[in-house]
Amino acid sequence: MNPSPQYRRAVGTLAGLVVIWAIFGALTDTFLTGRNIQNILLQSANVGAVAIGLTVVMIAAEIDLSVGALEAMAGAVTAILLKFLEFPVALAVSMGLGTVVILGALNGLVTWKVRLPSFVATLAMLGVAQGGAFVLTNGRPVNRLPDAFRFIGTGTIGPLNAAVVSTGALFILTHIILTRTRIGRHLFAVGGNAAAAESSGINAGRIKLYALMYSGFTSGVGGLILSARLNAGDGRFGESDLLVAVAAVIIGGTSLFGGVGTMIGTATGVIMVVSIKNGLVLSNVQDFWQRIVIGLLIILAMVVDQVARGERSFLKRRRPGGASI
Amino acid sequence: MATDSMVPALAVEGLSKNYGAVQAVRGVDLEVFAGEIVGLVGDNGSGKSTLVRCVAGSQKPDEGTIRINGILQTDSNPHKVRLTGLEVVHQDLSLVDTLDIAANFFLGREKCIEIPGVSPFGFLDYGYMKKFTNQALADLGVNIGSIDRPVGFLSGGQRQMVAVARAITWGESIIILDEPAASLGVEQTKLVLDLVRRLADRNRAVVFISHNMQHVMGVTNRIVVLRLGRKVGDLRTRDTSAREIVELITGSDLGNPV
Ligand SMILES: Nc1ncnc2c1ncn2[C@@H]1O[C@H](COP(=O)(O)OP(=O)(O)O)[C@@H](O)[C@H]1O
Ligand SMILES: [Mg+2]
Repeated sequence: MNPSPQYRRAVGTLAGLVVIWAIFGALTDTFLTGRNIQNILLQSANVGAVAIGLTVVMIAAEIDLSVGALEAMAGAVTAILLKFLEFPVALAVSMGLGTVVILGALNGLVTWKVRLPSFVATLAMLGVAQGGAFVLTNGRPVNRLPDAFRFIGTGTIGPLNAAVVSTGALFILTHIILTRTRIGRHLFAVGGNAAAAESSGINAGRIKLYALMYSGFTSGVGGLILSARLNAGDGRFGESDLLVAVAAVIIGGTSLFGGVGTMIGTATGVIMVVSIKNGLVLSNVQDFWQRIVIGLLIILAMVVDQVARGERSFLKRRRPGGASI
Repeated sequence: MATDSMVPALAVEGLSKNYGAVQAVRGVDLEVFAGEIVGLVGDNGSGKSTLVRCVAGSQKPDEGTIRINGILQTDSNPHKVRLTGLEVVHQDLSLVDTLDIAANFFLGREKCIEIPGVSPFGFLDYGYMKKFTNQALADLGVNIGSIDRPVGFLSGGQRQMVAVARAITWGESIIILDEPAASLGVEQTKLVLDLVRRLADRNRAVVFISHNMQHVMGVTNRIVVLRLGRKVGDLRTRDTSAREIVELITGSDLGNPV
């Protein structure tokens, strides 16, 4: 892919990250330490995985509001299989992931075949999956999971945390799919102008199905990381990740209107949002202020983009014909 | 001009399409032979674009048949239709503004480096697609500068040239242009008209939709007139006049000279 506006936007996000690190580095002694940076990366691992799939969905000009709930679902299914049915780790993990990929496929099918906006389909799924996770776990955390499973969240591979390595690998894989493959190109085409993609013989509905399935998969990975780190399956897990992931993806430069987005931008956006959360904690700011700040950050990022859009005719000239159905 | 072949490249028979209560196209027949340029004219809303979308497989006709090079198109979709060598420049151009020119040129037919085992993904051959697009545009005499720019950065006329060049390059048998010169400047209009004539010389079947009588009279062999979804005229261009065509379009004997 040519180093076009998308990548210039990612550089902007990166600059923002540097500024935030500088601010918290100045405000606290503990922020800019190797240990805390590692902490930030670790805290970024699960929401990073979630944000990968969300980016893919948003490039296709759709949204997935069920990502956090799918995290909970994947963790709950896996925890139950491990704890009560004593499944081998590989099988339990596969079934946990398989479950949320199927739920992602349902999101996609409702969007494609029933022609409901993904906003509605995935909002419904948010309720179903989060409620389902509570039902499966009987409303209580299913904890004390096998060590082999916990490795996903707490183990290390060389100097790096296993969760960070998994999410990093997922970022690279997705970057390659987006920029190097035919299906990635079709994703951008469908998000950029679904009608044009269709008349070029691309099946837009099917591409959106794949995107929502992929989002199910990456949310599942995020959920497993979370459950492995916290040593439990729980319907409450992932509840706050939708806000963080959406904020990270938007800050990372993915367009709400589709057709634009990068993995580099999203990775930077995730680290930025997690850094802000982390920095606020280290600055002794009360917990709930984090959400307020992240909420405001979404607006800020959108405003900055709108100002930038004034100079970028291609976003301004978007015709109604290009809107997705 | 109809050539050796007696089978029309494109044969539409009794095609009808309704949008709810709106009868956009009503029982239209249309034949286009290889090497022939047929003008399709009619007032706004007379059903030209709807007819084109049905032929292109973007929309399902309610009634009627479509044959391409003699082969009946059943259960058609844009993917199947383009495999027959039929290309359309839709009125909305069907370009993805956020993708660059080369990407739009190869939209839905991306050239990939196939790697056994992972080929379902298909790795894009950027180098080939860029080179091919540059060459294709140069061959057609279309000059729009760097092909790395997103199409959304181009002017209306440049966008139209990309869409026209794309259709001409890939349409091996039939090319349908829905108002291809609507936002072009003088130079570009001349080029497009010239390209259309050259297509016929290369034995393509061409359907040319335009509101500009001068263009239609100047470039076509035959003119089909639609009014309120019905075909009301099918005349050889050399046997008719702009005045007669306008009368057919408006449905008045005293037609407004344009
Ligand atoms: N997608 C659509 N939905 C509803 N009505 C449509 C649609 N497309 C076209 N029409 C109607 O069908 C008729 C023919 O339109 P169209 O084929 O665009 O005509 P033309 O291209 O000759 O201007 C018009 O009355 C138009 O309003
Ligand atoms: Mg039209």
